[in-house]
Amino acid sequence: MNAGDWTADELTPAERRLNEHLELLRASPPTVAPGLVPRVLRGVRWQRAIRDPLVMVGTVAAALAEGLSVLFKPRAGRS
Amino acid sequence: MLVQPPRMESDEILIERTLQGELTAFEQLVERHRGIVFRVAARIVGPDDAEDVSQDTFLRAFHRLKQYRGTATFRTWLLQITQNTALNSLAWARRRPVEAVSESPDPPDHDPIRQPAVELERRERQQRLELKLTALRPEYRSLLVLRDLEGLSYDEIADVLDMPLGSVKGRLHRARGELIELLRNNTYDWELPA
Repeated sequence: MNAGDWTADELTPAERRLNEHLELLRASPPTVAPGLVPRVLRGVRWQRAIRDPLVMVGTVAAALAEGLSVLFKPRAGRS
Repeated sequence: MLVQPPRMESDEILIERTLQGELTAFEQLVERHRGIVFRVAARIVGPDDAEDVSQDTFLRAFHRLKQYRGTATFRTWLLQITQNTALNSLAWARRRPVEAVSESPDPPDHDPIRQPAVELERRERQQRLELKLTALRPEYRSLLVLRDLEGLSYDEIADVLDMPLGSVKGRLHRARGELIELLRNNTYDWELPA
């Protein structure tokens, strides 16, 4: 991890003090859960498998809805 | 005979290979960037939700990979998604009933008897500081995390937050000011050497 590079900033005394405090957090970064990568890959495989069929079903449903709306659209001039 | 270390492929090549269907290439991208994605997520949403936010980030990145234009680095693009996913998660959490957060929680996995007093105190100060950081509004928290904890350049932060450079500097100044005020309310912490 890069330490916060405050050298490029013009700091007020209070900001310098804050930087000292934040060193405590920089020194103990949160550690990545070991199962993250397998979880991501499982999600990718699973979503990839169902994505295409879902997109197809969605497209068909949208086309069907569009067709029905054209068929049953109330015509102007009819009460 | 000398064994050559494995060649490190650039992000762009790995993206290209992922788009051609190679999942192992995407795995390398996740391995390469999981550290910063998880750290930023954890600092914004807290450690409990960080894994979910990180996972969502990488899944969204995978599905949007075709949209990556290469105008910014892949890390910047990924941090954009991380930041948006984390803020969405916070907004969603605000709509749920929340558990009361104690101002000075006990260290969860540390036996106070066995731990040296100095280390125990350091851990407690770190927890209080993390709590103060979460008290900042999420936009300010993101800025502080990206600049003061992760050390990103102003230009990169402007890309991540989709904000003009001047706004980044102005808001960062205000974010630091707010955190200073929060810490000053606890004089004990403010005066202690870090």
